[in-house]
Amino acid sequence: MSALGAGLVALLALTLVKATPLIYAALGGVLSERSGVVNIGLEGILVAGAFGSVVASAATGNPLVGAFAGVVAGALLAAVLAFAATRLGVDQIVAGTGLNIVALGGAAYGLVLIFGQPGASPEVPSLGRAGEAVLIALAFGLAAALWFALFRTPWGLRVRSCGENPRAAEIAGIDALQTRFWAVVIGGAIAALGGVYLSLAELDLYSDGMTAGRGYIALAAVIFGRWNPWGALGAALFFGFFAALQYSLQRSGIPSELMQALPYLAALVALAGFAGRVRAPAANGVPFERS
Amino acid sequence: MRRTLRDALIALAVVFGVGSIAMLLGHVSPVVGFAALFDGALGNQSELAETLLQTTALLFPALGVALAFRAGLFNIGAEGQIVLGGMTAGVLGVALPLPGPLLVPTVLIAAAAAGGAWGGLAGFLKARFGANEVIATLMLNTIAVLFATYLIGGPFKQPGAGAAETPQLPPAAWLPVLVPGTRLSVSFPIALALGAAIWYVFRQTVFGYELRAAGEAPEAARRAGIDLGRTAFTTMALSGAIAGLGGATIVMGVLHRFNTGLSPGYGFIAIAVALVGNLEPPFIIIAAFGFGILQSGAIAMQAEANVPRDVVTLIEGLVIVALAGRRFAAERRAA
Repeated sequence: MSALGAGLVALLALTLVKATPLIYAALGGVLSERSGVVNIGLEGILVAGAFGSVVASAATGNPLVGAFAGVVAGALLAAVLAFAATRLGVDQIVAGTGLNIVALGGAAYGLVLIFGQPGASPEVPSLGRAGEAVLIALAFGLAAALWFALFRTPWGLRVRSCGENPRAAEIAGIDALQTRFWAVVIGGAIAALGGVYLSLAELDLYSDGMTAGRGYIALAAVIFGRWNPWGALGAALFFGFFAALQYSLQRSGIPSELMQALPYLAALVALAGFAGRVRAPAANGVPFERS
Repeated sequence: MRRTLRDALIALAVVFGVGSIAMLLGHVSPVVGFAALFDGALGNQSELAETLLQTTALLFPALGVALAFRAGLFNIGAEGQIVLGGMTAGVLGVALPLPGPLLVPTVLIAAAAAGGAWGGLAGFLKARFGANEVIATLMLNTIAVLFATYLIGGPFKQPGAGAAETPQLPPAAWLPVLVPGTRLSVSFPIALALGAAIWYVFRQTVFGYELRAAGEAPEAARRAGIDLGRTAFTTMALSGAIAGLGGATIVMGVLHRFNTGLSPGYGFIAIAVALVGNLEPPFIIIAAFGFGILQSGAIAMQAEANVPRDVVTLIEGLVIVALAGRRFAAERRAA
């Protein structure tokens, strides 16, 4: 294989590595927002998944148990947001912002409490290369499954109707609050897999700040992908590609900050409607109360 | 008033309740932990001065965030506006050949303009294209940090400097120190005056009325002839300008140079400050002092009681979650 070909393969492989956590987080965001709950807390859910999985893997010595625990941790954090958003009718944005800070502070303190050291955990049993490959493949599979579930099943129709018009959904006999609650929780479980990937597949430890704003990039991917699982997958791959390209272009003179800024600029452009018609679910972010 | 009292009690319960539980988990007596925190924040004159510096750093963005909240807008981008305001101060403070009496106000105004442009951009995107301001300001945060990192690492790189930061400001560009022997500068009274000014704007001006109307009953405001788009733009620009000013005072009063580490998340903690202060400037000032104590006492708590500072971060996040119940926008259309 030529040097160019080898370079290209390496670039594409790195794209998959960089994109996978974004895919999971963005898919979780799509599900949550399709039901009408804006999930600003994706960053915190990634932290919960990454940290929870490392703790459980260290405790049991079994990375599979760790991965499962990470998913549960993310789902639990999402459940707090879901409960606040559906039962307490709180401002979802404010609650999500707070949960991000809680997760970051909680994981940082947890490192000291559980591992007795600040900054980073010791190395723990990881999922290894095989586990990493499985998680990458699973991300694509989940995108397909979520698309099917959202657009080809009665459950998906219910979720989407709660995101568009929860009052009408309730009149049609759907429990909008419960539907939203479970959409956010399942979305949290999916997003947490992105955190599991970061800490147990790409690496084998948790360190403070390792999520590095990926939850926010995922929010951008949700918008850029127009609230569609395939779109979110494509956006995450696109952003992952530019994250990978940074390494190739380090000596090219193109500022790496420009590459890093690309997902955020793309989301702004999409938000402003320059990239075709972008429409959020109509009731996205609007608390619903039965009157 | 009653709601302010209730929210303050909730915040205090979270601070002392969660703080105590967190300390007990770490096998530290909460009495010892909080004693170290308060002693480190208020124990002597220089510690009190540092606490007031933290108060000031939080007060600017909290006032900006509250201003936007009152108009039904969520400015989650104060962090980026702080960075841009600070960067503008760091670059212009070195570059402008002006005498001292002119230099300081000029740089402060330019920094406010930079923060205002960043906030105003989100307001413009909302007014013109209906882009949700929450996501826009969130994206603009990171873009601001990357932009500043690029500038100080590239075009404005200090020759020979290892760290990515601007050269030290000439003393003419420093904010005058208020209490000799401490770092407390005139930024503190400036922030207090700004709080009073915003309070006046809320209550006594047409713009304040329009802003509150747009936040509390946008449909009625629109029918009454208030231009919601223009109000959104003006409010976000003002909100960003206030946060940008805060960033400039950190650079000109504390660091005397700019680097991207100038804010340990003031723009996000400011959300907690604004909420605890019930979006009313007088209470926001009190809340900023409370969070200023947490911020500055956290270091002493870590050093003397062996409680990691992260406990304070955890507490600040939980305060935001606990106070998220307030309705900010009657008809927010998110994302």
